[in-house]
Amino acid sequence: MLMPKKVAHRKQHRGRMTGGATGGTSVSFGEYGIQALEPGWITARQIEAARIAMTRHVKRGGKVWITVFPDRPVTEKPAETRMGSGKGNPEHWVAVVKPGRVLFELAGVNEELARGALERAIQKLPIRARVISRAMAEEV
Amino acid sequence: MAEVALRAESGRLLGSRSSRRLRAEGKIPAVVYGHGIDPLSVAVERRDLRLALTTDAGMNALIDLEVNGAQHLTIVRDVQRDPVRNRVTHVDFILVSRDEVMTVDVPVVVTGASEAVRRDDGTVDQVMFNLTVSATPGNIPNEFSVDISSMVIGDTIRVDDLDLPAGVTTEVDPEEPVAIAQITRATIEAEELDAEAEAEAEADAPSEAGDEGQAAS
Repeated sequence: MLMPKKVAHRKQHRGRMTGGATGGTSVSFGEYGIQALEPGWITARQIEAARIAMTRHVKRGGKVWITVFPDRPVTEKPAETRMGSGKGNPEHWVAVVKPGRVLFELAGVNEELARGALERAIQKLPIRARVISRAMAEEV
Repeated sequence: MAEVALRAESGRLLGSRSSRRLRAEGKIPAVVYGHGIDPLSVAVERRDLRLALTTDAGMNALIDLEVNGAQHLTIVRDVQRDPVRNRVTHVDFILVSRDEVMTVDVPVVVTGASEAVRRDDGTVDQVMFNLTVSATPGNIPNEFSVDISSMVIGDTIRVDDLDLPAGVTTEVDPEEPVAIAQITRATIEAEELDAEAEAEAEADAPSEAGDEGQAAS
């Protein structure tokens, strides 16, 4: 699973997810992509599940890009613990995603297969998302 | 390159609120600048802009922009979009003259399909989608076409291999790759999974045979 090699601070505040994505909003590497339609935290486990769903459907010949990285640590307190005694332990890593952000890209396969693979990957994500293509970015 | 006529209204109100109202009316706020003139805030009809930018020349179409009865030869420099709704929210037009060499991005389009690459479960990865070229407005090509049908795994098509028409130059490194035929990580993973499955099947097969042999004796 994806995670940073080292970080400056082990624990972070949760932050806010207002507004839309300001970068990474178009298909840059492949032909087709998955674009987030609402904000959310995508865990490293969900990213990996989506990647596996995509590559298993494509089987051979395609190339996949993951264009988000889970660089935010999420802490959790152990079960049945009283409140207080400081912040919990880092348990997993998430990528903060805002509407418009492209999460995955795919190339090297025909449109039907690409859309099938990306739709399967969307099912592994906790947010609404859609399949977009490079050609869509040229539309006026 | 053919020129497209487009009409723009000047004197629009500035600011996000009035721009939003303009968009609701089916117009797109735009700005015209270049050649040392003061930037001119204008608005164009969304439908007319779509027609102007969907010719063979695409986003590099030469646009004869009419503002207050005056004609300006322009080209689209930048288009801002809403990433979720995928609608154009603002356009920059830059003034050009017919004998002026200008720098534009021309799309690189891959044509054909490589049978050799497909047979080896590989893929042709297009790594360059636009090539920055310098040319006069009349010489700007619509696109660069790259035929990949003769590629085999390991082949690379570079900028040097593109046919630039007369009057068109580029400052991009000629060794810069445009398309690479390669076996992807996904294919390698699929091959590894197949190999593991075969190994498991082979490991199971002798033990079953051995069991049967013992039962027979």
